[in-house]
Amino acid sequence: MDVPLYLEPRLESRLASLLRARTFLHTLAGGLGSPLNVVLPDRIAENLAAFRAVYRRHHLSGGIFFAHKANRSSALVRRLAATEAAVDVASLGELQHALGSGFVPDRIMATGPKNPEFLWLAARSGTTVNIDSPAELGQLAALVRDYGLPRLRILLRLSGFCAPGVRLLTRQSRFGTAEAELDGLLKSVERHRDAVELTGVGYHLDTTSPAEKAVALEGCVKALDTCRARGFTPRAVDIGGGFGTDYLADGAQWQRYTTELTNAALGTRPPMTWRRHTYGLRNENGTLRGALALYPAHRPTAGAQYLDTLLSLPAPSLGRPLATLLLENLYELHTEPGRALVDQCGVTLARVLEVRRTEATDRTEATDHTEPSDRREATDDRPEPSDRTDNADRAGTAGRTGPGHLLVRLDANADDIGLEEHGVLVDPVLVPRTAPGGAPDTGPVTCYLAGNLCLEADMITRRAVHLPSAPRPGDLLAFANTAGYCMDFSADEAQQQPVARKVAVWQDGPADDTGREDASWHWCLDEQYWPHVNRRTKGSA
Amino acid sequence: MRFERITDAIGNTPLVRIDPSVHGLRTIDLYAKLEMLNPFGSVKDRAAWNMVRPGLSAAADEDRTVIELSSGNTAKALAVLAGMHGVPFKTVTNRMRIPEIKDLLLLLGAEVEELPGQTECLDPTNTDDPLTAFHQTLTEPGSAYLYTDQYYNDRNTQAHVEGTGPEIVKDLDGRAPDWFIACVGTAGSSTGVARVLREHDPRVEVVGLVSHKADFVPGIRTIDEVQEVGLFDPGTYGTIASVTADEAIDGMLTLARRCGILAGPTSGAAYFGAVRHLRELDDGPAPGPDSDPDRPAGRRTAVFIVCDRIESYLGYVRQRRPELLGRPPQPNSVATVSDAEVRGAPDIGVEDARRWIEHDRPLVVDLRSPFAYTALHIAGSVNIVDELFGELVRGGLPFSKSRPVLLACPVGEQSAKYAALLARMGHPDVRSLRGGIIAWRDAGAPLVRE
Repeated sequence: MDVPLYLEPRLESRLASLLRARTFLHTLAGGLGSPLNVVLPDRIAENLAAFRAVYRRHHLSGGIFFAHKANRSSALVRRLAATEAAVDVASLGELQHALGSGFVPDRIMATGPKNPEFLWLAARSGTTVNIDSPAELGQLAALVRDYGLPRLRILLRLSGFCAPGVRLLTRQSRFGTAEAELDGLLKSVERHRDAVELTGVGYHLDTTSPAEKAVALEGCVKALDTCRARGFTPRAVDIGGGFGTDYLADGAQWQRYTTELTNAALGTRPPMTWRRHTYGLRNENGTLRGALALYPAHRPTAGAQYLDTLLSLPAPSLGRPLATLLLENLYELHTEPGRALVDQCGVTLARVLEVRRTEATDRTEATDHTEPSDRREATDDRPEPSDRTDNADRAGTAGRTGPGHLLVRLDANADDIGLEEHGVLVDPVLVPRTAPGGAPDTGPVTCYLAGNLCLEADMITRRAVHLPSAPRPGDLLAFANTAGYCMDFSADEAQQQPVARKVAVWQDGPADDTGREDASWHWCLDEQYWPHVNRRTKGSA
Repeated sequence: MRFERITDAIGNTPLVRIDPSVHGLRTIDLYAKLEMLNPFGSVKDRAAWNMVRPGLSAAADEDRTVIELSSGNTAKALAVLAGMHGVPFKTVTNRMRIPEIKDLLLLLGAEVEELPGQTECLDPTNTDDPLTAFHQTLTEPGSAYLYTDQYYNDRNTQAHVEGTGPEIVKDLDGRAPDWFIACVGTAGSSTGVARVLREHDPRVEVVGLVSHKADFVPGIRTIDEVQEVGLFDPGTYGTIASVTADEAIDGMLTLARRCGILAGPTSGAAYFGAVRHLRELDDGPAPGPDSDPDRPAGRRTAVFIVCDRIESYLGYVRQRRPELLGRPPQPNSVATVSDAEVRGAPDIGVEDARRWIEHDRPLVVDLRSPFAYTALHIAGSVNIVDELFGELVRGGLPFSKSRPVLLACPVGEQSAKYAALLARMGHPDVRSLRGGIIAWRDAGAPLVRE
């Protein structure tokens, strides 16, 4: 039998230690309910330090703005406020939250499309505004004039950059002003010189390709030169976010998994997904078509390392490494990491409500990892599934091609655990209720994870998930690394199911101190967390 | 050999035996089919010419553009062929990772479009992948393209059914080899040659080589990517094995250094994959002085394809195996300056530098790029970008010892290295601007834009 198609999560020391703290996690979920979001504020400060180290390596200065939209947590934002980081806010609520968490307006940038309320608070507080369109610039300048506010720092978001030589296509963006229209935009800035001060330009591209970003970064440097020639004194290039996260522990697992997914789409192996979902791939006369609509969960170059790679690339037309280009033109670099800055900063816990066999309405996997009929999932005190005998019989007669997988119903829904929604395929970690050895080891199992809504579509995963042993009712499944967009981005109260509570957890010492990995964990509600109270945080990260 | 047209020189490439002392196989003769000797440099010349030939004159009359999804050799051949017939050529790709090829295509007059990378924020409702968009453009009413469609076009395979395959059989005295080993890109050459060889002898074993999934070998697809190829049929291959970039480069080195075959990494992969596969099967007794001299009937043959030339892949090698291109450091090179020398380099702070400039008028050399210099610089300074400056000093001091020199770079790091180097070379009064142009600006000293 093949090794199960695991996609084990990448767990660095702090998060790994937390997931080993079985009793602690069960106490939390027992008291606060399922689902439960757990954030690790100390880790965000470590990630910040890694980004800053890349700046230092390239002798660059400038702000590292946490893209707040990645997570609503107060603990993470307050912990960052105790460091040298800045924050990027994209709504009125996020701006209020940043101000209330201890960020002064100097360290806040308002980005994205803005409504009048958001624009007002940004202007009134003196927050830097990243201008999305000429109309927005007009509205902002009017506010400053009408209310006699101090001159406001702005950046211009540009898009549609052109490369020399080979034409590099880039996805159309809803945001920003085309580079070709810079002249008109600068005329507006000149008209509003009394109200705004141009401090830089930036881009934010929705792509994983460093080559496209190199074109945009160089385009920004050239745009700043145009600004200088017109008498402005801009200082910064804002290269946005999109540095990515590596979710998986083992690249070989990802490669093996995606190959099997390709084979499943072509029909050369049994389906691996609920209702034969193929994640965007399709079979046209034996040839593969479509594109894999998944986040590249295995990214060997992600986060701060991606920034390092990007800064080391040569500028497409000027030839100098991008970092050198910024440096010798005396520009600062602003970055807006979101997902990358909250890497390893959170986990979502969900309680197992029920485990049952699902009917195989279709062919099942040839490498069927469901357990033999004598090893059953429901060995605790909960009622066993009523179809036990039935299943056991069928398994006995049908053997490996017998009945389908386990269906594991969780007390959480697909909106609480956004991994699938964001195309991130990664296995949860089983946190059993009883101590290891307390229950017979079932061996590897294949299961679908279903949510708590009365809705066919509410699947936490559309793929069959392989786990080293069967979950049982009362156990917790821990979804690691959800803090970036996969925790509270789209959670709501559908069907009046509760939205996950959020807690902050920390250890007294650094997690990577030898012998301190399993130091005891402390917790408080996310909104109760303040870095100086809950942890002896001295100075910046 | 006299030809009327360069296209007549396509095909009829040599089949060359690899010296057994290189591959070490005792009972198998390994032959290389030198497709690199086609006029435009690769095996793709055959397919490109066969695919584009029927439509070219009509395309010229109707002002159509030849278009293909190609990241390399097919684009190169099509660019030449289209150009010879006065037809524009455009290639669209998301796989072009060899910068030399991009520049070469531009030089040949091709238009190159690169597709965008994967999105960072997945939009699951977006089912529109770049390739679908490409196909939509082609089928738009009034679109003026001649699409050669190499991944689906049977004329790609046909070029090898009629050319490469029969040539191999002819050069092996009318026999098919026991093994045929080919890298799989469009699957055209492997499918076409395999068809011919099997018609000759159904026992031929065909080995398809793909790139290791996490790796990149030019011209070869990974095991998943071959599934996107219309011409690819897994039934063509008895074995499909993968090769890493490192192994491809190893194979390339052996071909180049020991066999005199200056081929690219794709061919290196084919050689490496061939020898790896055959070594397992090399189980007959070694024919030699001790063994029966009448055993040649027991010898078996294998053929692999050498698909293109080495020259375009220097950057590829530099990125993966820089030590292969290593050169000893030159004497007056900034790389030879030790950390201690840099620490001891004469430097000067911004305020003192301003006074020094005022009184002694040193030559101020700004080591930044012309773009940055033009934007803002110290009045009266000259601009010699660091790369150029490095070249200059290699030959000796580029200015008189009687003239003091102030070197400036962004933060004072590069300038300190060069100050140390110039001091070592005997310049009596060279100084580095401490903290560089950034410190100069931060101190409020004037910078001009002229």
